[in-house]
Amino acid sequence: MKTLPFHRRATAATSIIALTAALLVGCTSDSGSEDGVTTVTFAASTFGDPGRGPQLLEWLDEFNTSQNAIRVAAAAVPYPTFGQTVLTQMGSGRGPDLIRFDMPEFEAASEAGLIAPLDDVIDVSKYKLLEQPDKFMIHGGVRHGIIFEASNYAMFYNADLIPNPPTNYQEFFDTARSLTKGDVFGLAFRQTEAEEAGVWQDIFNYVYGFGGAWSDGTNLTINSPKNLEGLQAYKDLYDANVIPRGADAATFRRMFAEGKVGMELNNGGYVTATRGQNADLNFSVAPIPFPVRSQGSILAPIVINKASPAQDAAATFIRWALEPENQVKLQEILGASSVATVTERSAESLQETPFLTVFDELTPSSLPQIVLGFEAKTPDIRKVVVQNVIAALQGTVDLKTALDRAQQQATELVG
Amino acid sequence: MTVVEQQTRAPGSVSRRRRGRRRPSPQGSRWTPYLFLAPAALFILVFQAVPLAQEIFLSFTRTTLLNPTESTWVGLDNFVRIFGDEDFHRTLRTTVVYVIACVVGAVGAGLAVALLLNRSFRGRGWARALVTVPWAAPGIAVALIATWMLNPQYGIVNRFLDAIGLGVPGGAILDSPRYALPAILATTIWQLFPFTSVVLLSALQSVPKDLTEAAMVDGAGPWSAFRAVTWPVIRPTVGLLALLMTIWSLRRFELIWLMTKGGPVGATETLVIDLYSQAFDSKELGSAAAIGMVGVVISLIVIAGSRFVARAAEKEDTR
Repeated sequence: MKTLPFHRRATAATSIIALTAALLVGCTSDSGSEDGVTTVTFAASTFGDPGRGPQLLEWLDEFNTSQNAIRVAAAAVPYPTFGQTVLTQMGSGRGPDLIRFDMPEFEAASEAGLIAPLDDVIDVSKYKLLEQPDKFMIHGGVRHGIIFEASNYAMFYNADLIPNPPTNYQEFFDTARSLTKGDVFGLAFRQTEAEEAGVWQDIFNYVYGFGGAWSDGTNLTINSPKNLEGLQAYKDLYDANVIPRGADAATFRRMFAEGKVGMELNNGGYVTATRGQNADLNFSVAPIPFPVRSQGSILAPIVINKASPAQDAAATFIRWALEPENQVKLQEILGASSVATVTERSAESLQETPFLTVFDELTPSSLPQIVLGFEAKTPDIRKVVVQNVIAALQGTVDLKTALDRAQQQATELVG
Repeated sequence: MTVVEQQTRAPGSVSRRRRGRRRPSPQGSRWTPYLFLAPAALFILVFQAVPLAQEIFLSFTRTTLLNPTESTWVGLDNFVRIFGDEDFHRTLRTTVVYVIACVVGAVGAGLAVALLLNRSFRGRGWARALVTVPWAAPGIAVALIATWMLNPQYGIVNRFLDAIGLGVPGGAILDSPRYALPAILATTIWQLFPFTSVVLLSALQSVPKDLTEAAMVDGAGPWSAFRAVTWPVIRPTVGLLALLMTIWSLRRFELIWLMTKGGPVGATETLVIDLYSQAFDSKELGSAAAIGMVGVVISLIVIAGSRFVARAAEKEDTR
């Protein structure tokens, strides 16, 4: 038998290995088709929620059972790194087929042209969509998303500790102070740079609840007097030591479930999660008692990745999700959140959770936590604002100077 | 023909040789060394040289993470911008402080522990094994444990500091611009010192005992004996460790990121944290690459400086 010299054999072997590796890399894809079944990946941080995650997976299973040719596979990406992970994948032309975004990342992806238009694949006239949240799904006349979850912020309070919830800021402050004793805190909110997105969500309620706004739609208004007033209220609570300083959201939410935190401003999505941590906790919900009835809302659109090779299959799933019976099921899972369409809450739900109506009534006065007029730049503005507000909390600079600096930096950033 | 060749020749080899076929040399052909080097060279080319070249290119462009294939050439703009930014100056200062403190702390603590472990005492074997535990622990586990220990509500460190009357107001050490960096440094040094102590211990064991004893007999105290006998022997090892610690500290990411993400107010933001934030938070790959280039230049200066110092020391020794 004729044999090749060693170095030629080695070269041939190396080439084969390299070619195989290249082919394997080239074949890697998030979606795939096997035995005539197209698998669509759906990334959402909520799949990892202790309360709602397993129920959402069951909801996906119902879709999979109803289909012969399409299967949706859940991809749980943790919330703190969700946007970063998915946007990085999408930027490189890959990533999941379906994504449940938060608004800042939705806006950034939309501006970068990473989201597939939905106008031709979903006829929204067939559905009774909630108008207020839905208007944020359209950019320049093009629909980029459908609301998966809309969750308004309200005041959660421990009804055993607080029989009558505060109705104005002074009562809110006094209640927080009177409850803080030993290892019990009157209030909790996010205040560390490690939770930048969470701090932004929390301070949004103080800014808008005191009549402020991050912009007037054309110019940034970060250092406006109303914003200063709202953020001063936030800082006063921090300085009063009525919150567990340094505790992250996971920690203080567990403390709330254990009865060691009296109040927190949170969105409707956490009703189920709180019950999941302590089913016996006697808690209730009231509107945030700030001077102006305006608060943040978690709007979470579901979108289709423009780079997805399975866009039709992904659209089939969205159409299935918009069917009335599936919307009702989704709303039952999401608890106090709203879904894309107008749905009736069941008598059982209202009996079990009477305060659901509080969340529903807040929908007209709730706003997504984006900077209007600078939507796609929200993550960058958020970083600047949060860093400067935390600098003021830490006492390295006074709040007014911090906001002036944030205004200047953010203005330079957006051009 | 040697005896060995006769013994190892396979049956039939004579006839093959007679047919004019060349017997392969035990060293292979002149290409053999290149063949063996090729995998390593290919690895370096693919995973280091190509990304480095790409980074150099990116640092002169405006490129965003969301559209990485669409770059605009901007020349030195990224460098001008980052060097004109006060926050970047703070990042550089923090990096220098962090690196120097890590090197001094890890090598100093390692040397102290190595000197202790070099002595004879009961349970020395156990002590030597136990000292390596922090080094063996994964960096992520170390960061999470340290974060828990420093937790303002449940952390043992705060309880202890409160008990002795040195508690930080509010208890949030990692959220204090004043205490966050020292806390991270303490954690880093705790993780690093076992490595330096083990390496220095092996260096100490090569110090001739009779020389130390002779110096003591001649009236030298422990400090003088250390300076005159031990230090010259372990100095190259200390130099190497200092270089390694410097480069590792410049690159350290996971511990700082997990504990503070560079905060609060940039108090623990080093070059790699800033690079990551630029690339993945601000999505500015061009600026991130420029920061990376600054890191590369600093590393090269450190390596060149250490070689210069080592050569100067060698010359002094040979004099």
